[in-house]
Amino acid sequence: MNKGLVITHGNLGKELIAVAEGILEEKVDVDSLAFGWEDNGTDTISKFEHYLKKNQGNNIIIFTDMFGGSPTNICFKFNMENIEIITGVNLPGLLKFLTYKDKDMSFKEIVKIVKKGAISGINLISEYLGEKKK
Amino acid sequence: MIRETIEIINKLGLHARASAKLSHLANSFTSDIFLIYNEDRVDAKSLLGILTLAASVGNKLTIEANGKDEKEALKKIVSLFEGKFSEKS
Repeated sequence: MNKGLVITHGNLGKELIAVAEGILEEKVDVDSLAFGWEDNGTDTISKFEHYLKKNQGNNIIIFTDMFGGSPTNICFKFNMENIEIITGVNLPGLLKFLTYKDKDMSFKEIVKIVKKGAISGINLISEYLGEKKK
Repeated sequence: MIRETIEIINKLGLHARASAKLSHLANSFTSDIFLIYNEDRVDAKSLLGILTLAASVGNKLTIEANGKDEKEALKKIVSLFEGKFSEKS
C-alpha cells in the first residue's frame, strides 16, 4: 500500500490536505505532521517514528515543505527503500499522489509521476499567455 | 472513436473541483477519453491534465472517446458539462 505524509513548518500540511479534500470532495488517506516553532526536532521525530512504526510494510511518500528546512532535514536519516521524500510540497503534487497512489504501478513509477506533476504545476502565467499587452 | 463538441456553460469553467469530477467520471470508463481545446489535447482521466487547459465559461471543447464503453462515456461526460457540474449557478 502507498501512504502519504506531509511534514511542514506549522499547519501548512494539514491545510493542504484539507484543500485537496475540498477539491476531490472526499476524505483522503494522507497524514500530516506539523513541525512546531518551539520544537528542536525531538517532538516531530518522535511522532514521525511512531507514524513509521504504525505504517510498517507500506511504501511512504513524504512531502516536505522546503529543501533545507527542518521538516526535510529530519527525514534524511529515514532514506530507506520504501520511503521517498519529495520536497517543496504543492497542491498539484499532492493531487497527483492522491489520484495515483492506488494505481497498479510500482512505487518508484508513482514517485516519478508525482514529482513531475508537482513541477508541472509551477508556471509563469505571462509565458503561458504569450506576449504581454503594452 | 466518437467525438462531440460542447460549450462550457458553468460560471467557473474547468476549475479544480469541476476537473476533479470530470477526471473521476472519466476514470470510471475503460475507453480512452481526451479533451481537445485549441491546440491542446489532454487525457480526461488526469486531473492536472484537465487543469492545464485553463478552459473558461463560453469556451468550446471537444470530447473524444475511444473504446468499448465510448458511447456511455461520451453521454455521461456531456451530461456533466450540461448539468454545470452540479454547481449552484
